Amino acid sequence: MAPGLLPALAWRVGLALLAALFLGLTLGGLAWWLFAATLGLLGYLVYSLWGLERWLRTGKRRSRAESDGVLGAIYADIMQLRQRARRRKKRFHRLLREVRDSTDAMHDGGVILNADMEIAWLNDAASRLLGLDPARDQGQHITNLVRHPDFVAYIEEAEFSEKLKMPGPRRNTHLSVQLIPYGNQQKLLIVQDITREVRLEHMRRDFVANVSHELRSPLTVIAGYLESLGDERSLDEVWRQPVAEMQRQVARMNSIVHDLITLSRLEAAERPAGQEPVDVPDMLDQLHREALTRRERPSELELRLETTARVRGEEQELHSVFSNLLNNALRFTPPEGRIECRWWQDEEGVHFSITDTGIGIPETLIPRITERFFRVDSGRAREVGGTGLGLAIVKHALLRHGGRLEIRSRPGEGSTFICHFPTARTVLPPPEAEAAAPSPG
Amino acid sequence: MDTADLGHHISSRFNEDLDRLRNSVLAMGGLVESQLQRAVEAVVRGDSELGLAVARDDQRVDRMEIEIDQACSRIIATRQPAAGDLRLIMAIIKAITDLERIGDEAEKIATLAARLATMERPADRYRELASLAGHVQEMLRAALDALARLDTRAAVETLAMDQAIDREYDSITRQCITFMMEDPRTISRVMNVTWVARSLERIGDHAKNICEYVIYMVHGRDVRHLDEQRVAREFAPGVVDGQG
Repeated sequence: MAPGLLPALAWRVGLALLAALFLGLTLGGLAWWLFAATLGLLGYLVYSLWGLERWLRTGKRRSRAESDGVLGAIYADIMQLRQRARRRKKRFHRLLREVRDSTDAMHDGGVILNADMEIAWLNDAASRLLGLDPARDQGQHITNLVRHPDFVAYIEEAEFSEKLKMPGPRRNTHLSVQLIPYGNQQKLLIVQDITREVRLEHMRRDFVANVSHELRSPLTVIAGYLESLGDERSLDEVWRQPVAEMQRQVARMNSIVHDLITLSRLEAAERPAGQEPVDVPDMLDQLHREALTRRERPSELELRLETTARVRGEEQELHSVFSNLLNNALRFTPPEGRIECRWWQDEEGVHFSITDTGIGIPETLIPRITERFFRVDSGRAREVGGTGLGLAIVKHALLRHGGRLEIRSRPGEGSTFICHFPTARTVLPPPEAEAAAPSPG
Repeated sequence: MDTADLGHHISSRFNEDLDRLRNSVLAMGGLVESQLQRAVEAVVRGDSELGLAVARDDQRVDRMEIEIDQACSRIIATRQPAAGDLRLIMAIIKAITDLERIGDEAEKIATLAARLATMERPADRYRELASLAGHVQEMLRAALDALARLDTRAAVETLAMDQAIDREYDSITRQCITFMMEDPRTISRVMNVTWVARSLERIGDHAKNICEYVIYMVHGRDVRHLDEQRVAREFAPGVVDGQG
């Protein structure tokens, strides 16, 4: 351990002054000797300081001047500081490496984006899934490298509450991405590989579609033979009833297959639906008229068209939405009940509601009612017919039109089904069409 | 690569304009990529609806081309860019033309897909076509990545991919001719297949052009119609020496 700066200095100054004093007294010219000693001391100090400066600049780890010399203590202090800094740096490095290793071990990709949506950092999985280069792509705008139009729209809309599914840059891969804003305008982009899930979903959908198609032709054959059997005069009276029942069941099976095909087509179709203006008021009017001609129907069946607004979309799909809802209401409402349909517009968009005084749905089951083949009361539902797929079709068709289905119901009192279509999907009919259209009633 | 450095302008608005321009070109590239991907999917899956949807969406590509074109003219008129900035804008004007052509080829493929979907499908489900399409998609992606990163090395590597695509196109054409000679009833279907392959091959050529613009943008050298080996030696030494 080197002595402190002051003792080292005092010792040297004392020695030099003593020597000057002795020489001055013995040889004479004391003042000159003292001056020479002070000058020498000054020179020595300047030399030492220059040495220190050089040592600091070159940053050599060990110096000959380390322990001896007047600045030994300062050298030692600096050495210690350096060592401490080195140790701290090592610790940070280790910590950083651990963090990096753990994020790299993650299956999900993570990309940190700054306020301008430029890449600030990414882990291994992200570079693999998105085809990014961690070394070079920092500072790149994320949509310059992840260019899928859906992703670009997702970033531009800045609405990150939902995940986005999109094809990955590598072939036949599918990704699910979500942006999570945090801190000071930074964003974390989470990327998941959902290729397997998408493939399974495709397989399931293809399977359902194929099975439905395969069932269709044998059903047609059976239905044909049953029909000629029913018309056969020589048929024994005992068999009349069973054949009629068989015909009914085949018809039901046919409609289930038909609905399954419709549903799988809706699911497989790319979102969103087309943009052709569909004259919904006219369609509702026709459905209403058809319903009025039924023999078994509730005594009151009303349609109120409060707007002539149309919806942009696919005519066929919208037709199945309204006809399914109307058929459901007709099915579950007793003859003395009443059904009221309404088509109206407000600032949020256009809406269709259908209110019945039917059996209603228990509140706990409302969220499940749009599931495939879900029945509130299985015995009864089968009695009144229906495929169990109607509301699933309604839900999917509405989703494709940017709309949603709202259900309010009370058991015993009746239900209200409301279809909401956003303003973006709404169009007013051209004026001449409005004038020419017969006033609905 | 400071020849193409966009980061040092006195006017930060100019910087923003250039950045936005680059972003929108790449967004257009992304749209074109997805058009191609969906068109190919329509062929492979025999999905006529998808094919028609893709053909319809081509207007979006056309609209973007016009928008970017106007933005470029505006920048030239108001900022009078020079050197690297001017090269960037010139390259972008050329690149969007190629992207628009790729969009047109994708539209053609999609229309053909809708037609093919109505015909009998071969047992191999157009495996060769799908493989060629995969390589073309890869090349287009690499070209756009090189454009985003201003990476001439990657651009040179991508240029070399075109040869493999040309070879694959040749072999598909030969195969198609064999099919048509063996069974004249397949001629109308196989003709459609050759047109799809032809469109894919053209897309490869357009992707190649985009790579050449990247080299032009960064180094200021026009490498169109130059010998590929020389280009490779000059701009990416040691990358493609063994190829060709």
